[in-house]
Amino acid sequence: MGAEVRQAKRIGLLYDGRASTFCPGCEHGLLLKLIARALEELGVADRAVMVGTVGCSSLGYLLFDSDFVQAPHGRAPAVMAGIKLVEPDAVVFAIQGDGDALSIGLQELLYAADRGIPMTIFMYNNMTFGMTGGQMAPTTIPGMRTTTTPRGRDVKLSGSPIDACRLLSAIDGPAYLRRAILAPRPLRVKGKIFYSAREALEAYRIVLNAFRAQLKGGFSFVEFVGTCNVNWRMGIDESKAFVHEVGAKYFPPGLCRDIYGLEGGGKV
Amino acid sequence: MTAELLRGAEAIGLAALMSGVEAYFGYPITPSSEIMEFMASEQGDPRFPRYRAFVQASSEVEAVSMLMGAGAAGHLAMTATSGPGLSLMAEGISHAYVAEIPFLIVDVNRGGPGLGTTEPEQSDYLFVTRSLGHGGSRAIVLAPEGVGEAMELVNRGFRLAFEYRIPVVILTDAIVVHMRETVDVPELRPVLDGVPPWAVRGKRGRGTRNALTTGFLDSRELKEFKEGLERKWRRISEREAYYECHMCDDAEVIYVAFGISARVAAEAVRELRGRGTAAGLFRPITLAPFPSGALARLRGRGIRFVVMEMNEGQMYRDVREALGPDEDVEPIPMMGGIVTRSEVS
Repeated sequence: MGAEVRQAKRIGLLYDGRASTFCPGCEHGLLLKLIARALEELGVADRAVMVGTVGCSSLGYLLFDSDFVQAPHGRAPAVMAGIKLVEPDAVVFAIQGDGDALSIGLQELLYAADRGIPMTIFMYNNMTFGMTGGQMAPTTIPGMRTTTTPRGRDVKLSGSPIDACRLLSAIDGPAYLRRAILAPRPLRVKGKIFYSAREALEAYRIVLNAFRAQLKGGFSFVEFVGTCNVNWRMGIDESKAFVHEVGAKYFPPGLCRDIYGLEGGGKV
Repeated sequence: MTAELLRGAEAIGLAALMSGVEAYFGYPITPSSEIMEFMASEQGDPRFPRYRAFVQASSEVEAVSMLMGAGAAGHLAMTATSGPGLSLMAEGISHAYVAEIPFLIVDVNRGGPGLGTTEPEQSDYLFVTRSLGHGGSRAIVLAPEGVGEAMELVNRGFRLAFEYRIPVVILTDAIVVHMRETVDVPELRPVLDGVPPWAVRGKRGRGTRNALTTGFLDSRELKEFKEGLERKWRRISEREAYYECHMCDDAEVIYVAFGISARVAAEAVRELRGRGTAAGLFRPITLAPFPSGALARLRGRGIRFVVMEMNEGQMYRDVREALGPDEDVEPIPMMGGIVTRSEVS
């Protein structure tokens, strides 16, 4: 057991010494680290398969040392289903962006969830299309300026943000549905900014639960609300504060479903 | 071998099961749905324990993506569709081509473009043989002339898919799939024994990971990868171009036709021979790679070539290219899903 803990600290699933391909301030790297550590803690690193998505999350495979297959844009849940149905022992996961999951890939996400095929999807919601340069996403909040909503998102023209957890709650298939804020809250102490560790610690527990749900035979989906300070044209601290102060109103953290009682059997 | 009366759809499904197919992912579309229905009914058949996954997908896009997943994991997976569905599958085929993921698609050609008709045509020829998907992706394309050969080509298709790690298309039509024929059921053996070393299923003790990617951050990397894919395609073209040349040796007239058109052409050959005309039939079995070399060997003999196909003359271009500008090549295009003897004569 002790040896396993030491191995988990080294995080064998992450390549040593490779520079992160993510922008400074982005939480994608943190999420990868939590996933790698959780797979190792659960003892399933050797069975892990990452399915590549399209968007900034696709860069994760450069840092992550598990078996990997790239899916077309939005199709990761279908590719994951294809793997899982013939390799039920594999632990299959993907990190989808909000555009990948809720725009081009909504149908694939919805039907994978509806069939309840065991798999784990982490949706990184940064309210924009990051990789293509900051266009409007299904999750862009009203009034938010993007390169395709230069005057701010007009809900009459472009609709309102899609709440993935509520949407997936409408069908019976999923076993575990959860939303949490991944961006650490910036705390000002004596004029200096510190980041809270609370979000990352909670996110780690959620990542573990998401994989536990898959190992119990269920479909799990976690929406992590994060930042994209570069495309938001904000400073790093400002972007993290924005998630907590504004983003959380549209994407409130919470548990939407937990059929296995992984979070203590509370509200479902 | 045992002789059985089999419908094309059933024979195709049976051949896949005998070949060891493990997964069927599809979306219903006329005139291919009978294959899917057969595969649905075969779930749990104790004769085929390898077959364990059947999903009616929410679209052809989802179906082909599932094929990508099962193929990437090193398992035999297939679907059947028709033109409008194949258009949607082009996305997954392009990705599978560059990620070198094997699977089998049966395209039951209906009249096109658009919704067209549900009657048989051969008008997907250009689409499937030229570039099935964006970015110069390809597939091996096999065209059976009837129910019995469809069984053999399903087995060969899976073998080629896994040997070369490439998507394979069986291009057929509503006549072959809906027709009942007495077939000498071939003894088909499972294509795979064990897990291919490149399969994406978790490292499981392997020192290095298996990664099947379709994106490249570096142009030189993509260039080198594509050069490798082109070398592979040349190897396929040299080794795997199949055809049948029927009564070609003394022929003055040679029909060039594939699939069900070749059955009609064979009848025309019999009739013409009966009237004293030395007719023959050249039938490509692989449409991609096209058996250009074999056709070119018939040059310079003063033969009149007649290209018969149920489209506006799509294969005619390949025949003309193989034979060169000096040969006498006449196209007989038949559009709209109509096959008549009178049009042939």
